[in-house]
Amino acid sequence: MSVVRRFRPENRLAKMLQAPGGVSIGVALHNASAALESIRESCMQALDQKLAVLANMAARPENASRDEAMYLIANEIFSESGSFGLSELSAAAYSLCTLLDSGDRTPTRAATIRVHIDSMRALRHPDMAGDQSARAAVLEGLRDLTARLVEPLLTEESTT
Amino acid sequence: MSVEFDLSPSTPINLSKAIVLVVETTTHAADILGQILKGFGIAESHRTTSIREAAELVKHKTFDLILIDPDVEDGAGYNFVRTLRTGMVEPNCFAPVILMSGHPRVSRVKRARDTGANYFISKPLAPNVLLQRILWVARDKRPFVEAGGYVGPDRRFKFEGLPPGSDGRRSSDIKDPLGEASEPNMSQDDIDNFMKPQRVSL
Repeated sequence: MSVVRRFRPENRLAKMLQAPGGVSIGVALHNASAALESIRESCMQALDQKLAVLANMAARPENASRDEAMYLIANEIFSESGSFGLSELSAAAYSLCTLLDSGDRTPTRAATIRVHIDSMRALRHPDMAGDQSARAAVLEGLRDLTARLVEPLLTEESTT
Repeated sequence: MSVEFDLSPSTPINLSKAIVLVVETTTHAADILGQILKGFGIAESHRTTSIREAAELVKHKTFDLILIDPDVEDGAGYNFVRTLRTGMVEPNCFAPVILMSGHPRVSRVKRARDTGANYFISKPLAPNVLLQRILWVARDKRPFVEAGGYVGPDRRFKFEGLPPGSDGRRSSDIKDPLGEASEPNMSQDDIDNFMKPQRVSL
């Protein structure tokens, strides 16, 4: 039987937080948003490059290592675009990640991946990608497509 | 676990002396996090996308907070946190650790809980969510536990109701405060009958 030891190490962060000086939470959040804004341009360029790489990869023959590389890039796009308010691009990238992580191998998979990437390229510039309801419909469509391919696999997993 | 602390805009916080380690999957992700931390007033943050470099840094520097994407280098971030905790090299083995993960891979979700991290945040990162979590881990009162292969904060949370001002997210969350009991307590027999297997004839 293993021995369980419980103890309370010193929490330096808690002590620091209460030290005199610093800033208010309101100022900290304002400064953080401003600091983030200062790197927006370079991050947007990086996102454009990642979308281009993703499109090139999708044109290559399917295999596990290609899918893994595509998953990693889609995951980066999901995280990075979301921090800059591109929530629809982020959501589309999330849907693509789910699809690529699922191990689905149905014949429609390649087309579903292409639809995701085309939508992501459009949603990178939301002001040019139709009004909000049109963009919401695109996202809903992507989620449906992914769910149609992924859900049967999850059901299969839970019954085996 | 209580989450009752003042997050009003006028509450002062001082993170200027905190030394933070950021381990991210890409330099852009590290830059995003670095900028947010700079805004919070954190003067010293060390950013890396390499587990080897992160391991070197924790050998030579004392960190007050570690923010890590466990998917860095194909999931090596999970082992990094576990090794940090179980290595018991003070003081970094007790540093608050926040895992920040992107898309949750089916194969890795369960691993997060056993690393010994204090908290898990889903990306994309937003300044207000990150600051809330940093304040939360700073005020985390859970004891550390060393048991079997696990070292880290106690994984059992005491549920103390919804955070003030929140309606909850689950359909089972009770939104109104509970009042006094309106009926007498049930007898032990009544309670036992709930658990008692009964033969059913159809």
